[in-house]
Amino acid sequence: MNIINQFLLNVKHFSGLLLPITVAVVWEFMSRQGDAYTYIFVPLSQIYSGFVELIQSGELLINLVATLQTTVIGLVIGGFAGLFVGGLMAVSPLANKLIGPLYHTLRQVPLLGLIPLIALWFGNDLFSKILIVSLAAFYPIVLNTFEGMRGVEHKYVEVASVLKFNRLQLLIHVLLPAATPSIMTGLMHALAFAWVSTVGSELLFSTGPGVGGLMLMAQESSRMDIVIVAVVSIGLTGLLMNASLSHLRQYLLRWRSVR
Amino acid sequence: MNFSVKNGTPVIAWLLVGFAFMFGLLTDANADPAKEVRIATVAYNVNGKIGFNGTAAIVEEQGWLKEELKKQGVTLTWVPVTAQSVGVTINEGFANKSIDFAGYGDLPSIILNSGGIETRIVVPGGRGNNVYLVVPPNSTAKTLADLKGKRIALHRGRPWEIAFARYVAASGFKFSDFKISNLNPGAGAAALAAGNVDAFVTLSDAYQLEDKKVGKIIWSTKSAAQDWKMRAELWGAKDFIAQNPAITQIIATAYVRAVYWTSQEEHLDDYLKIANQNGQPENVFRREYSNDSVPWKIRWSPLFDDLVLDHYANVAQYSRQANLIRKDVNTKQLFDARFLNAAIKELKLEGYWQPRKVALKGA
Amino acid sequence: MKKIRDLANSLHTNALFFVSPILLLLAWAWVCSAGIFPEQILVSPAGVYQTAHELWGSGELQSHLHDSLYRLVLGFAIGVLLGMVFGVLMGLFKPIDAFFAPSFNALRQVPTIAFIPMLVMIFGVEETFKIVVVAKAAFFPITMATYDAVKGIPRSYFEVSKVYQLSHFSLVRHVILPATVPPILTGLRLALGRSWMVLVAAELIAADSGIGQMMEMGRQMFRIDIVLVGVLVTGLIGFLLDRSLRSVETHLGRWQQS
Repeated sequence: MNIINQFLLNVKHFSGLLLPITVAVVWEFMSRQGDAYTYIFVPLSQIYSGFVELIQSGELLINLVATLQTTVIGLVIGGFAGLFVGGLMAVSPLANKLIGPLYHTLRQVPLLGLIPLIALWFGNDLFSKILIVSLAAFYPIVLNTFEGMRGVEHKYVEVASVLKFNRLQLLIHVLLPAATPSIMTGLMHALAFAWVSTVGSELLFSTGPGVGGLMLMAQESSRMDIVIVAVVSIGLTGLLMNASLSHLRQYLLRWRSVR
Repeated sequence: MNFSVKNGTPVIAWLLVGFAFMFGLLTDANADPAKEVRIATVAYNVNGKIGFNGTAAIVEEQGWLKEELKKQGVTLTWVPVTAQSVGVTINEGFANKSIDFAGYGDLPSIILNSGGIETRIVVPGGRGNNVYLVVPPNSTAKTLADLKGKRIALHRGRPWEIAFARYVAASGFKFSDFKISNLNPGAGAAALAAGNVDAFVTLSDAYQLEDKKVGKIIWSTKSAAQDWKMRAELWGAKDFIAQNPAITQIIATAYVRAVYWTSQEEHLDDYLKIANQNGQPENVFRREYSNDSVPWKIRWSPLFDDLVLDHYANVAQYSRQANLIRKDVNTKQLFDARFLNAAIKELKLEGYWQPRKVALKGA
Repeated sequence: MKKIRDLANSLHTNALFFVSPILLLLAWAWVCSAGIFPEQILVSPAGVYQTAHELWGSGELQSHLHDSLYRLVLGFAIGVLLGMVFGVLMGLFKPIDAFFAPSFNALRQVPTIAFIPMLVMIFGVEETFKIVVVAKAAFFPITMATYDAVKGIPRSYFEVSKVYQLSHFSLVRHVILPATVPPILTGLRLALGRSWMVLVAAELIAADSGIGQMMEMGRQMFRIDIVLVGVLVTGLIGFLLDRSLRSVETHLGRWQQS
């Protein structure tokens, strides 16, 4: 009985690999069907050699670092701005009423659709990319800061008023810690959006180093192998950043009573 | 429990927005004369390093410009622009004053000037580059007539639109006789390879498509009249030129030096090595330059001759007719020949190139 | 008396709602009339309105809108359908889950936008490409939402319904739907926003019609007024899409409570 269970367990582990393997085999098969097919279905060996080529020339690393840098700078700027605006909206009903509608309206404009406008106003360089990425990070952080602070239990606020905290103290000692879980959730969203918009803005601004630019160049010269390597590295980097941020979240929230 | 902040906080937000705006638009608060000159040029990002294309690469290689500007206490900054969207990027750069000079094409410049941002040609860029019409390798199309009603990829507002428009008109067609897809060169090449368009209008990368067996060239400006080639010049912002004539002169001289060097046949091989940093194989450029109706030396002639004047009059006229611009452009005022003439004199190149008195009439 | 105060209050609130957008508009108009920036850089609200009017009058705007919305609806429908089927299957059947989960989770990590160059190479730039992009953008969040919703139905519900001998119909009507519809709706809203954004981006990059393409063409022809019309229209559509799904959510929330 035990052996059967063991076997089933193994199959279960293995079955997740079945699909990628099948795809790879079909892919390789298609790549051998003639010139017209190799254009899309580049042989796996070529993807690998493309990868080696990109690593050896340092191209992948340089572009990846540039993309990461844009994301991080945008995340920091957008994060702090979002924290500020979200906190303000939570603390001041007037600010909420004034900023809220504008925030909810502007948020609906597809960010990458702003690129033609931002390019004209601020140029096509890093500044514009960072602006887009900051905005992408800004929106979710505002929302989660606001909701996190709004959701603070009333008794904490009352304790604060007993202690005669002023508004700044209230914000720093009560609201901010209490809203941290929500803000961290916002940060996770912000990271995802920032990452998407960095890649998107690299595709649309198409200047300077970055994985997006690398992909465009590969597309231009019909190098599907490089495109695939770039896509995979974008996915993996996103995954890594996501994982490290959620570790950070766990670390920061370790004081929370775990059920 | 009321912890509202009294004053209207959006003020701060507005200020931030305002500052951001100012920052973007007024980073060019250069005093006169300028301490920095920014020249936009087509560049390619290879291994995270920027490689320039064409004359700018030679100017940079020669190093003369940088030295001369340094003597005046002026820094030279190259602003790299990707080939995918040269016209748009440079127009935006001139509009938000993040560049002072740019080497780029005819049609985008006309669009910019029609929009009210004024620029001037400082050094004309020679006889221009060839424009190619590429079809899929298995296509039966031999001429434009075979493509009637078919889908053609063409990045609108780019210089090669003019050459293609002349071909279309000369063949007795209108743009509306085809389905024109507005695609940048990268997307256009991809569309051609994937069989989504029946033809693609592009530059010398046409040869690369041929080499990859995803395209075949059925027409090019090589065999057409000389003024059909796409033109690109060294343009300068009108205000910058007016305020910094000395700097402008140095730049003009540097460019003329560069094209003079390039125009000497024995430098062809070196030129290909230096100016070929865009990842395209060298033989692509050799083919672009070979068997051309214009000899190598004349190809680089920077003179303001009738050919240039006529070309721009034509571009402006076409743009207006095709509804690409809303206001007429007086093309005569786009030329600022002082710097070029002084440079030719300074470098003792009078008579090295012959001006073309009468432009060839395009068919 | 209280009623009057309530009315005054609500008026006050509603008025405040418009304050910031109106302020923004006024500031925009003022900046333009003061001539701080050249008109090529910032077109006045009136200028934008006029351009919008012209584009509408010539039918250009409608045709772009039509193309964009058609792609959105078709791609979204495909993405939703596949996503729901997939989510339910993965949520209900362990082997299917185990089979697909690793690939699914790996693919989910890659932003749709990063696939655009690859999809352009595979599908070209025609309709198929845009519909695939939209469907891809919708598929993942909806699969996730459906999967979570299905997984989220406590086993006890089924046991309780067995005890009470509920019919299949009322099991679905009273147990499964109320438990799964709200999270799926939230997933739908999320997916719709993303799809719209990705579509606009895809149209900016490669298309021959659609709102994104209208903006790109405006950019190429240095017509900032057309670009601004595009920004406003895309924002408005995004806003309306979000609002309508939100109202469906609240509506269903009420239905669920009753």
